[in-house]
Amino acid sequence: MEQQKKVFGLAALFDSPDSIIKAAKTVTDKGYKNFDVHTPYPVHGMDKAMKLPPSKLGYVTLTFGLTGAAIALLFMYWTMSVDYPMIIGGKPFFAFPAFIPVTFEVTVLLATLSTVIGMITFFFYYPDNSHPIHDTNYMKSVSIDKFGVCIEATDSKYNEEEISKLFADLGAKSTEIIYFAEKVDRKIFEPKFITLLIVTASIVSGVAYIHLNKILYLPPFDWMMEQSRVNVQSMSSFFNDNFGMRTPVKGTVARGFLPYEFAGVNEPSSPLANPFFPSKENLVLGEKKYNTFCSPCHGNFGDGDSRLNGQFPLPPSLHTTKAREWQDGNLYHIIVNGQNVMPSYASQLNIEERWAIVNYIRVLQRAKNASDADIQEIKKESVKNVSR
Amino acid sequence: MSHDNLNFVKKELPTGFKNLGLILLLVGIVGGTISFFLNAEQAIFNYLLAFMFLMSIGVGALFLISLEYVAGADWSTPLRRVIEFSASVIPYLIVLSIPILLNLHTLFHWSHTDVVATDKVLQGKSPYLNEMFFAIRVVVVFAIWGLFYFLFTKNSKKQDITKDQKLTSINIKLSAVFIPLFAITASVAAIDFMMSLEPHWFSTIFGVYFFSGSVLAALSVITYATVKLREGGYLHPKMVDDHYYSLGALLFAFVNFWGYIAFSQYMLIWYANLPEETFWFLARWEGSWIFISLALIVVHFLVPYSVLLSQPAKMDSKKLKFAALWILFAHVLDLYWLILPTFHGESNFVNTILGFSFIIGAIGLVMLLFYFNAKKTNLVPIGDPKLEKGLNFRL
Amino acid sequence: MNIDYSQELPVVEGRLSLREIDDLIARPMDEKPNKKYFLALSFTLSLMSIGAVSVALTLYYGIGMWGNNQPVGWAFDIVNFVFWVGIGHAGTLISAILFLLRQKWRTGIARFAEAMTIFAVMCAAIFPVLHTGRMWVAVVYLLPYPNQHGLWVNFTSPLIWDVFAVSTYFTVSLVFWYVGLIPDFATLRDRTASKIKKVIYSVFSLGWRHSHRNWQHYEKSYMLLAGFATPLVLSVHTIVSFDFAVSILPGWHTTIFPPYFVAGAIFSGFAMVVTVLIFVRKVFDLENIITINHLEKMNKVILATGMMVGYAYGMEFFIAWYSGNPVEQFAFINRAFGPYAWAYWIMVSCNVIFPQFFWVKKIRRSVPLMLIIAIFVNIGMWFERFVITVTSLHRDFLPSSWGYYTPTLVDFGVLIGSFGLFFTLVLLFTKTLPVVSISEVKAVADGAQPSHHGGDH
Repeated sequence: MEQQKKVFGLAALFDSPDSIIKAAKTVTDKGYKNFDVHTPYPVHGMDKAMKLPPSKLGYVTLTFGLTGAAIALLFMYWTMSVDYPMIIGGKPFFAFPAFIPVTFEVTVLLATLSTVIGMITFFFYYPDNSHPIHDTNYMKSVSIDKFGVCIEATDSKYNEEEISKLFADLGAKSTEIIYFAEKVDRKIFEPKFITLLIVTASIVSGVAYIHLNKILYLPPFDWMMEQSRVNVQSMSSFFNDNFGMRTPVKGTVARGFLPYEFAGVNEPSSPLANPFFPSKENLVLGEKKYNTFCSPCHGNFGDGDSRLNGQFPLPPSLHTTKAREWQDGNLYHIIVNGQNVMPSYASQLNIEERWAIVNYIRVLQRAKNASDADIQEIKKESVKNVSR
Repeated sequence: MSHDNLNFVKKELPTGFKNLGLILLLVGIVGGTISFFLNAEQAIFNYLLAFMFLMSIGVGALFLISLEYVAGADWSTPLRRVIEFSASVIPYLIVLSIPILLNLHTLFHWSHTDVVATDKVLQGKSPYLNEMFFAIRVVVVFAIWGLFYFLFTKNSKKQDITKDQKLTSINIKLSAVFIPLFAITASVAAIDFMMSLEPHWFSTIFGVYFFSGSVLAALSVITYATVKLREGGYLHPKMVDDHYYSLGALLFAFVNFWGYIAFSQYMLIWYANLPEETFWFLARWEGSWIFISLALIVVHFLVPYSVLLSQPAKMDSKKLKFAALWILFAHVLDLYWLILPTFHGESNFVNTILGFSFIIGAIGLVMLLFYFNAKKTNLVPIGDPKLEKGLNFRL
Repeated sequence: MNIDYSQELPVVEGRLSLREIDDLIARPMDEKPNKKYFLALSFTLSLMSIGAVSVALTLYYGIGMWGNNQPVGWAFDIVNFVFWVGIGHAGTLISAILFLLRQKWRTGIARFAEAMTIFAVMCAAIFPVLHTGRMWVAVVYLLPYPNQHGLWVNFTSPLIWDVFAVSTYFTVSLVFWYVGLIPDFATLRDRTASKIKKVIYSVFSLGWRHSHRNWQHYEKSYMLLAGFATPLVLSVHTIVSFDFAVSILPGWHTTIFPPYFVAGAIFSGFAMVVTVLIFVRKVFDLENIITINHLEKMNKVILATGMMVGYAYGMEFFIAWYSGNPVEQFAFINRAFGPYAWAYWIMVSCNVIFPQFFWVKKIRRSVPLMLIIAIFVNIGMWFERFVITVTSLHRDFLPSSWGYYTPTLVDFGVLIGSFGLFFTLVLLFTKTLPVVSISEVKAVADGAQPSHHGGDH
């Protein structure tokens, strides 16, 4: 049996820190590469004795620390100055001094976690509880009060006799050959493992289900839902008619539904003034709404050339002198009130959209009747655009 | 216990060093005098800057001496003479403060009784901010420092000969008494000489701010001197790079501490945005001062921080020398930023240039003091019982 | 009395062999707990159940069960929070800062102090979370996560900085503690006879093999962690102080708060560590590892930080007068002579006057006396937070909104409960994990390091 086991390496135990330093030095000087020293605590001067290069762990820390700082700052910049900018305490959107604390914390968090995870994965090559060295007498001694050195069989200069002699010369208290453990097949689909998975899954999902569907509906967790106020359209015994909702007081105006004072009047003499400046946004809105609601009858450019091909009476052109000389309020009046066959568009268009259409109609009118000055201006603009 | 420290052979500092110090001091005195006659007001502000520079080095080093005793540190014992020499300006501070006391009216707004008469806030402060009490405080503060400096160095020198351990325990007791006194006196000095330049302004952290800067300045002088002296073979031959590491680490720690204190002060005032506090920072945010304010972050924090961050850098003599000189420069810039914005008089280019002569003179004075002290006493406290332990210090 | 300054004091007394150190530290874990242990545990558990009842009342009926109300909107919750976070700071200071300063005496107490950090932060977290009211929905406004309202947390608020600082602090302390435990788990794994324990220790030891190729990175990582934990511990209490100091409330807005809070935290934390260690070293016979010299050093730190706190009190008072701001002046006069003068003078006497006894070497080295002083310091530091919070708030800017705060029974119940939780965790810790770092103590034992290391090699 013994002969079939694969040898991991040859290990020797020493009694004092001085002798292990000497041993490590000798082993290094003899040119062994795949060896390791095992001590119950870090022994000073061992790095030099083993000629180990300095640890590169610091680079992991630095990289992730800087990443953390960048992520934190960029995230705060984005949330506080781009995505949802809000003035808080009279400070600028990008209030740098106020961002320093969180930046610092995220830097530290990422740096430390990456250091430890990086150490365990890249520098220790993942946790290994089945390493051949475990559970040997050697391991149990170096874990407590002995100092050991172990030369692995993979070393090119590995030779049991030579190494035993070397260890004996160095004054080793004992030597031990360490074998690989026999391989045990570990199946994934073991019934025990599957049971564990199923139990875990059912516990997790059960807890989640009960939490989200039952516990949150128990007092006091539901006190945000169950509040002592009347919900919309629910009953209330407080009033005689048992209606929770009350009719509004006379004269109440709903938001966005300001009544139109000339409703039903024919051509008001002093119509409303246009409250909207024909800004670019306003005109773009006007164009969109005009094309949707007005152009089917009035035509794309207000010429009265309906797309409906006579299925409907043709409306007048919007470029008549009457229409051009009308005040903005008159055009608005017709949109709200309708005229002749044209129905009211008040229900389709809100106040801003109506005025935007009026502004857009003004643009169409000016374009159709451009003055010389307008043409000069257009030429200048087009030259500029070409040269660009 | 073997007496390896007897291996130490004293070496005289070269006279070239003394001559350089003398030249710098003379340049300082001549330039300063010319500057004073050209524009007394600007000159006296520049003089205050150089005075604070000397004071911060001296008192910072004195604090480090007492810290070594009280903390029972031994790594710094082989360098203690260097620290003591850096503190040697302390007895002269009282003399150096005479030009300031003579020019209180130029420097301090609160010394004008006519201004105080119309200013309610200053009236409230007048029991503290008046010329008589100011002078008393100056004398008391410098006397306390001088006394402790005298006692520390006397015992330390005596120990070179007697090797008496009792002297160490006396100094430990003195240090324990000194440190609380230091906290109070250093704060008083900071408030008097710098905070009260702008008498309406107040900040509770100001004393700590001055403390962080002054320890940093003292550490830079000590670091630079240690590296230079060891390179020239003036220090104990058994000293190793591990001693450098401790200096580098302390420098690094105090760079961070300064940054922390400076940030705390700025942050709280910026955030609360109370006009009675913000005006001090706003004055340093106007005109070209904004560049100095911003430069301070880079010069006083970011640069030394990145230089000293890595572990090998803290042991590298070149980097340490660079960092030490750089931090000294940063400290001057910091003091400039603290003091000069209160100077509202006429300034001219020649005088601004001549203003540097005060700092040059101060550096010369530090060098001269170093030379004469090194001539009188050993550069290593050979009688100190902790010396051997200190020399064997390893990371 | 004559000390030989040329000799180094031994960190571990009694010339223990490495194996004896193992046995000594591992003994509480090997033995069955005795009657006294269960007695202590039942006491702390009953404290905890008082807390549980109070927490349940708070959750069921809401924050109205507490005494805070206008104008004192912050009271026991923040007082206890700051108190516990402060207690935690000593642990990080001992484990990280003293490590960087290469103070070998920290090894005996570091593990324990770190554990106390973690437990104290857990206790601290109870209070702000409870004060959010419906803590089960607190995540909505405490953590930045994408939500349907398109809202983000307010990153300019010091309360959000607190969330980041305390959670980072807890995580980093836990990781730091665990990294320190890895080699000890390996040692325990190799010496235990019980099969179940062996599996548990194996899992937590991450297959640690005491290999020097690992030790090298391990030491580096430990130093890096210590390097990060040091500014972190400063930042945490700095941010806690920002909770107060960024406001414009007289008595809260003062620039010395950050370093003053940090000093106060270390002060209270050391007092708590001393209090608990006195019992632990007695009960578990660790007098040779947690020596009277270590306790004396801690008492010196208490004395030093106590004076720093005293300096801050004085500076605040002086600058309040110096500022010439009448509101500021009133706030401080009111603190010392107003309705809460009793709290103020308890704070001053416990924090500034009592620690002065530590100037006397005999008192520094006398266990019963240091216990009394440490407990006084704990009381004083609790009152410090009380004074800062309540006295600054109870006099609002308008005299019509002045008030007086009285805590309710539930307030006290939660506070008692937090102590119960803390000591329960401490008791459980002493029986389940090595209270002293085995590998670190071995490394500083006499003759543990090669002679003439460094230089000659």
